[in-house]
Amino acid sequence: MIGAKPRRILITGGNAGLGLALAKKLARRHSLLLSGRKSQNEIAGTLPLGAGYVVADQNDPEESALALVRGIRDFGWDSLDNAVLNAGIGIAAVDGVDSTEAIRQTLDVNLLAAVMQAQALFPLLKKSSGTLTLVGSVAHKGSATIPAYAASKAGLHGLARALRSEWSGQVSVQVLHPGPAKTGIHDKAGYDPGRMRALFLAADDVAAMMASAIAARRSPVTLSWVKYLNGGAYTGRRL
Amino acid sequence: MTREPRRALVTGGSAGLGAAAVNWLQANRYEVVVLDRDRPWTGKTPVDFIRCDLASRTELDDVLPELITAGPYDLVVLNAGINATGKFEALDPRVHIDVLRVNAEGPMVIAAGLLEAGACRTGGAMVFVSSLSHFTGYPGAASYAASKDALAIYAKSMRKYAASKGVTLTVAFPGPLKTDHAERHSPEGADESRRMDPDRAASLILADALAGKKTSIPGTGNRAFAAIGRIFPKPVTALMRRLIYNRF
Repeated sequence: MIGAKPRRILITGGNAGLGLALAKKLARRHSLLLSGRKSQNEIAGTLPLGAGYVVADQNDPEESALALVRGIRDFGWDSLDNAVLNAGIGIAAVDGVDSTEAIRQTLDVNLLAAVMQAQALFPLLKKSSGTLTLVGSVAHKGSATIPAYAASKAGLHGLARALRSEWSGQVSVQVLHPGPAKTGIHDKAGYDPGRMRALFLAADDVAAMMASAIAARRSPVTLSWVKYLNGGAYTGRRL
Repeated sequence: MTREPRRALVTGGSAGLGAAAVNWLQANRYEVVVLDRDRPWTGKTPVDFIRCDLASRTELDDVLPELITAGPYDLVVLNAGINATGKFEALDPRVHIDVLRVNAEGPMVIAAGLLEAGACRTGGAMVFVSSLSHFTGYPGAASYAASKDALAIYAKSMRKYAASKGVTLTVAFPGPLKTDHAERHSPEGADESRRMDPDRAASLILADALAGKKTSIPGTGNRAFAAIGRIFPKPVTALMRRLIYNRF
């Protein structure tokens, strides 16, 4: 590709959902390292060819950051061009209120893990003037169905705003807020979107919009129907 | 008057804005329960004190039943908070963890627990103390900004559930205050006279909460800042960087 040299890209939660869709899109041109909670055996055969995989369970935020740093070193990388902190969970609130466990797990996996990982990956990103991408959600403005999830994504939004300023000139920081996509997240969350699901964007289209937003390094970016209908999945920069 | 006395819970009520809220509530004849890491230093009128460090999940789990039985409350002020300022990458990871636990996770768990257990009276109010930083970027306090944004949005998301219990939720966004907390986390040479007196902030916030308002931004200057931050988030964040981050 003209002007596009292969990048070293880390995608957390890269073994399913939007992370995997993004990985498949980028695998031909870039070198990828994906992370997930599942073991190597469980994910065998699902990842794009040539992509590395490291187990990093974000239920333990501190350990997940250390696991990523070890995984990157073992993969033979001494720097990172892009870190896409995409891994996240949602737990539908039962009768409108999250349990204590659900609040803690959601904050740990979605927010605290990203904080720990951003800190641990900073030196590697700085080395190549890379980009840190936090994957938020359109729910970052609030949602009565998933209060703790919305809170965790709002936290990522605030984190990105602060870090983008702090690290300017060293590492680009951005937050992307995808709208609902046809992935497994709703089933895993114990939430049935019913006929609304027909309105969700295809994971592949959201991944395409994520890729061009990552290339453009802007922040914050909302990736939903408005962007899609403006050709967001087909136009824009190419990563 | 045969009315039973009104009850309030204030987390982080031993100092700063929390202590100011306790004073205001006592002056308005509330019985006050204080949850804090440290004992209250003001002792004019006694309070029911529950010791708990919100950074510790086990401590919170231990006191949550006690907190519920100490109710029902007419007013809950989720005020406890800590800050950690400095370069994000240079701060100890444990500090970031504590900031998120104390500022976001703790109050979220308490709010959910109290509402679910019916520990808030119908017609009652709950205040979540977020920060004026919600309307801008806060370079130099990234995890703090994240925690306060998370708390504000949690409150907003819980409004419907709280309403089903007859409780209104107010999010307060105070700006810099004349408290030890602000003193520790503002850059050297910052103009102290421009910070708000905590007693005044507390009375404005509590009045908004009792009126059932959704948000409370105490002070005209702070409201202007919030409005400008909303319209021009990037220049305001750049200004915050100049005023705060570049002075570390």
